[in-house]
Amino acid sequence: MKLHKIFQSIALSICFAFLAMTFLLISTEDVSAKVRVVGSIPDFAAIAQEIGGDKVEVASLSKGYQDPHFVDAKPSLILVLNKADLLLYAGLELEIGWLPPLITGARNSKILRGNIGNLDCSTLIPRLLEVPITKVDRSLGDIHPGGNPHYWLDPRNGIAIAKGIAERLKEIDPENASYYDERLGDFVRRLSAKIKEWDEKLAPYKGTQIITYHKSWVYFSDWAGFEEVGFVEPKPGIPPSPSYVADLIRKIQQMNVKLVIEESFYSQKAPDLIAQKAGASLLVLPSEVGGRDGINTYSELFDAIVGEITSKLANHGKG
Amino acid sequence: MKMQESAGHHGITNINRRFIIFVFAFLLFSPDVHTEVWGDEKDDIKKQMQELRQQMESMQKKLEELEEKNRILEEETKKQKEGKEIEKAISEAAPPPPPGGGLRGLVQSLNPDISVIGTFAAAYFTTDNPISHAENDPQNTGINLQEIEVGFQAAVDPYFRLDSFFSFLRNEVEVEELYATTLSLPLNTQIRTGIMRSKFGRINLQHREVQDFVTLPLPVTSFLAEHLNPTGVEFNFLLPLPWFSELSASVNSSNGLETPTFAPSPDANNLGLLLYIAHLSNFFELSDALSLSLGGSFATGSNGTSSTNRSNLYGADLFLKYRPLKYSSSYQEVWLQSEFMYRQAETPEPEGNFNDWGGYVQAIYRFAKRWNTGVRFDFVNTNNNSFVPPPGEEGLFPARKELNYAAMLTFNPSEFSRIRLQYEFDDPSFRSNYSAVFLQFEYSIGAHGAHPF
Repeated sequence: MKLHKIFQSIALSICFAFLAMTFLLISTEDVSAKVRVVGSIPDFAAIAQEIGGDKVEVASLSKGYQDPHFVDAKPSLILVLNKADLLLYAGLELEIGWLPPLITGARNSKILRGNIGNLDCSTLIPRLLEVPITKVDRSLGDIHPGGNPHYWLDPRNGIAIAKGIAERLKEIDPENASYYDERLGDFVRRLSAKIKEWDEKLAPYKGTQIITYHKSWVYFSDWAGFEEVGFVEPKPGIPPSPSYVADLIRKIQQMNVKLVIEESFYSQKAPDLIAQKAGASLLVLPSEVGGRDGINTYSELFDAIVGEITSKLANHGKG
Repeated sequence: MKMQESAGHHGITNINRRFIIFVFAFLLFSPDVHTEVWGDEKDDIKKQMQELRQQMESMQKKLEELEEKNRILEEETKKQKEGKEIEKAISEAAPPPPPGGGLRGLVQSLNPDISVIGTFAAAYFTTDNPISHAENDPQNTGINLQEIEVGFQAAVDPYFRLDSFFSFLRNEVEVEELYATTLSLPLNTQIRTGIMRSKFGRINLQHREVQDFVTLPLPVTSFLAEHLNPTGVEFNFLLPLPWFSELSASVNSSNGLETPTFAPSPDANNLGLLLYIAHLSNFFELSDALSLSLGGSFATGSNGTSSTNRSNLYGADLFLKYRPLKYSSSYQEVWLQSEFMYRQAETPEPEGNFNDWGGYVQAIYRFAKRWNTGVRFDFVNTNNNSFVPPPGEEGLFPARKELNYAAMLTFNPSEFSRIRLQYEFDDPSFRSNYSAVFLQFEYSIGAHGAHPF
């Protein structure tokens, strides 16, 4: 009989179980009073930091210079989510390719849908753009059935996001509710003043015709009063073919396109060609906090975007 | 009249009267008399003055207080106004009630996420009878259906989610996976129950649509077959280490399994001959751009050749990925995947026990957002080359020496379609070598699946 072998395998599995239990028992949860906030993109993390001050500890799953559609679902991110008290994400299927398996793997019921630690920031936005009103399918490209998810590029939405984050922080950490309220008021006051400043800077350029790479600037254009007359991508997520680029150039030559805007993670080849042919300037802009060195807050992001756009437009035609 | 009366009454003359009045007046107004008659009038006035002054001072004080109060009040109203403005800004940003009905109503339903993935391959073999390594590999020259995979996935309730995948061929259906995952167990534990691709190595967890080549590597086909997916209960522990480290242990029944290594024991009710699988997975983020995953696996269970014979399977897996994030076109990436497997099998006399092993290493370079290319080398070998399986028979036989080389070029028109060209050279020790060319087409519709790392 090979009974000993059977016992051997049973003993082995018991050993495994014991090993696992030992590991679990020595894992002393480090009790930190701070609320752990994790943003899918750095913008949410940055706003949460401003509201939460020293009562929170924030982290971002992706980098500001990274395409938020295509983040690697690295297991290391599971560890970050495992300890999170509050997860902030853009929703509208922006992160659908990578966030769901991370949430499942995190083994953290706090951040599951429907729980207090799960905040889909798109639910805070008063007016979503490009919400399809007819049935959509993927022949239209990689579209988002819930609407365009790039809403953080309108600073007015930053106020709505901040308020939503403050509400959640107050629910999670009621002891510091007045602290969060105070910081929210302060943030809103500062951001409102800044928005006034940016509005004034952008005012002379209302109606400027621009082309963007991806449909990621619609909220920004809506705020700044820019007119988007074309996109480098023929359809969301589909890179341009040479014939499409030729068509686009033909189409915009009659127009007065002044800017071609794209994020740093997209190829610059086609946009550069389009800008040249259209007599426009190509601007590679940061689209998220951390999109460039020195952009560490939500305000600094718009300082950079508005600053670069207005200085480009002011110089446009002079050269 | 009065004067006259008094004069008459006192009988005093006019002159006298004047004099008296004068003296009287003098007396009256002389300081001492004054003081005596009227008391200290000066002191009184002083007092009054002082009181007045005090009153004035107190009034002034009150006035100042009032002014201060007024100022505070004004400030407060200003603050309130500002607060209201902020409140307004905040409340303006508050979400309106979500629109009911309409398209959103259509999208809202409790149906699970459904996806359908079809994989076909045109194949050309330089031999008339190519070796059929895996069930879903292209089998013959011509157009082959590799697999139609239908997936249904949804949360069951706040405690479980269910993932199910059915693999369709033209005339058969297989439940490839159907398992529930716990969502909120304490102590960083996660339990999966059902039919699932076992956590053994790396490629066994990858569905066909996320694999990098048209065919499966030799060690996988020799030891695990198309996939190792027994019915079982799997415990996953997140170990409290500074890096991601997950220990998985599962108890499985091999009933209905079609693998060369594990099969149900004729002595069906022996706990010791169930299929036990353990896997330790470690992930290291070496830098933002460079990630390394290292794993070790072990599986033991009945191999079906007798009521006591068992197989042990050991595995080691490595995954290394380099993806620079900070440059334009950050879609360029390189990854290396490799696994090694070693098998010990007990078989009845006269053949006796044998050991065999195999491995593969593949490197892929994604050079544009939609394009990637890669090469693979895979092999198997054994210590018992004399053990020749009867032709046409399936079961537990040593993997005789065989080498395979493959190169592929993939174009993904979008995330949902794929065209892949692959060249393969198969070099077995027991028959003549041959080449194969595949052109694979893959389409997926429905829910957007997540990309496993």
